[in-house]
Amino acid sequence: MLARLPAGALKNVAALRSASFNGARNIPRVRFASTSSSSSSSSAFEFLTGSRAALATATVLSVGSVAWYANLYGTLPFIGEVHANSPAEEGLHPPHYPWSHSGWLDTFDHASIRRGYQVYREVCAACHSLDRIAWRNLVGVSHTVDEVKAMAEEVEYEDGPNDQGEMFMRPGKLSDYMPAPYPNEEAARASNGGALPPDLSLIVKARHGGADYIFSLLTGYRDPPAGFEIRDGMNYNPYFPGNAISMARVLFDGLVEYEDGTPATTSQMAKDVVTFLNWAAEPEHDERKKNGLKAVILFTTLWAISIYVKRFKWSVIKSRKIVYTPPADKP
Amino acid sequence: MAAVQLAKKAVTVPPTVRTLASGVPVAPLIDLKVRAPAGHGHEHGHGHAPRSDLPARWATKVSRSSSLGLYNKSYTAAPVTGVFQKSLMHTSAVARDAPQVPDFSKYQAKDESRNRGLAYFMIGSLGLLSASVAKSTVTEFLATMSASADVLAMARVEVDLAAIPEGKNVIIKWRGKPVFIRHRTQDEIEEARNTDWKSLRDPESDEQRTKKPEWLVMLGVCTHLGCVPIGEAGDYGGWFCPCHGSHYDISGRIRKGPAPLNLEVPQYDINEADGKLVIG
Amino acid sequence: MSLANTVYNAIVKRNSVFVPTIFVGAFAFSIGFDVGITKFWDTWNKGKQWKDIRDKYVEQA
Repeated sequence: MLARLPAGALKNVAALRSASFNGARNIPRVRFASTSSSSSSSSAFEFLTGSRAALATATVLSVGSVAWYANLYGTLPFIGEVHANSPAEEGLHPPHYPWSHSGWLDTFDHASIRRGYQVYREVCAACHSLDRIAWRNLVGVSHTVDEVKAMAEEVEYEDGPNDQGEMFMRPGKLSDYMPAPYPNEEAARASNGGALPPDLSLIVKARHGGADYIFSLLTGYRDPPAGFEIRDGMNYNPYFPGNAISMARVLFDGLVEYEDGTPATTSQMAKDVVTFLNWAAEPEHDERKKNGLKAVILFTTLWAISIYVKRFKWSVIKSRKIVYTPPADKP
Repeated sequence: MAAVQLAKKAVTVPPTVRTLASGVPVAPLIDLKVRAPAGHGHEHGHGHAPRSDLPARWATKVSRSSSLGLYNKSYTAAPVTGVFQKSLMHTSAVARDAPQVPDFSKYQAKDESRNRGLAYFMIGSLGLLSASVAKSTVTEFLATMSASADVLAMARVEVDLAAIPEGKNVIIKWRGKPVFIRHRTQDEIEEARNTDWKSLRDPESDEQRTKKPEWLVMLGVCTHLGCVPIGEAGDYGGWFCPCHGSHYDISGRIRKGPAPLNLEVPQYDINEADGKLVIG
Repeated sequence: MSLANTVYNAIVKRNSVFVPTIFVGAFAFSIGFDVGITKFWDTWNKGKQWKDIRDKYVEQA
């Protein structure tokens, strides 16, 4: 098809050239181009309109190039966009990382969740709470019951009232939620220069870019570029909207010591803690994908059989004959 | 003058005829050779029936006289409606000599029983999958009505049995209700077991009420009106309800007073290895 | 086809057999489907799920 396209196009060009050379004589021929099939100027147009394959190719080409452009630059071509934010204000867009759980059928890497919990407990928990996760949630996900019980008992919780009507402290139980580093928001702000460390339970869902963004943020600390003013107590991070973040870089190589011997590089710790936080935001993730697989298989099969049954039921109606026999014509 | 002077004709055209631009009437669809259908009826003794495709004779009448020429002319004219639109496209079926219907024979089953088997197999499979999907849907829906995980987590209480000395009562809270745990002495066990329990108001043996004889676990709610009985009190050395004076013995059985039943025993497990009591 | 006829006569001919067969089949199918999907799931996600790494930590406790 493509091999034939230039031939038609050349004919068209030739026709245009001849039209410009002997102008007046050609005008009527151009006017009635649709009626005179022998006219050379009409053949390219007729070729395009007459051949479905040519039309389809042209459509696919144009749609494809628009889609390619949109994929490269993120916008449709020739359509302007108005942004209230500069790219710096919006923050650098994180690249897509190949998470072990990003496929349609992929579960979380639970060994990574376990390491990530260790990073959270030893590093993040100093400032960030994890309100919506209870100790019992870790059971069967990253830790055994006995491990979780032991971890919970290290934390004292207030309970009561007892017989005397007083509150008392007791060691934690499985049903208790993760302890928060600060008693309230004001205390958290006061300890962090006015900035509130957000709760991390749903942080992966709550941030544009999700796991990719948090990984990029944790590993993206660097010196500000020349000319970028940064206030005291703030840090430069290209991925953070506005580029100035109160949280300083916290992950450094060898900061924690993994019990399974994984080398604790900065990016390894960031990956593990992001996997852990992703699990915290979506504890139902593994089961959800498994159920989705089942549902897709079942409903696809049901749909296909329904179509068969419909055709089966209609076949009687569709294949019947109606014959009209007119009255005999006596001569 | 005998010659006919007039060569004038009036033609009446039915509305199926159109007029050309030149004024000539055209009736392309009229078959002038057609005959009236046979056996049509009204022709007995009348000769030919009036032709339906021509105007009736009475509709056009021209009378002539040899001397005066035309003296009378009457005709029924078709309505003059101007130019008729010729229908260039039509959806009516093309007339054919014999009816032509498509050939459906290729859809016919090659093997009747196999065809029937396939159809029933497909319908059976549809029913089977639908039943399976419906069952899962209903089950999942009903599962949403059960207690949620956080409630279930709160509904279990663990008690360290090593912390309770012999001959002591402990009261803990479980699902908002008090639970009595008594570490019974050997004397108390013997007393509870040697009672003639068959003659009691709510006959129940001590073996039925305890999993291990030294541990008595009961809900601390009087079965009369729901007060909390007092431990180590009453006429039978067990519990005494201060509200209406019900006396329970050392196995929590009702012995005296208005209460109808023994103190309720909750579901519990004793974990020997860890020395822990799990209620719930 | 003798097989088709055998199946028809055994199962389909009486509705009192056909309908219970469907329900029993649905029960068996849901179990079998669950088992099959789980098997595939565990193969696909080998080494990632908790049950794969559980042994390492149960022994310590």
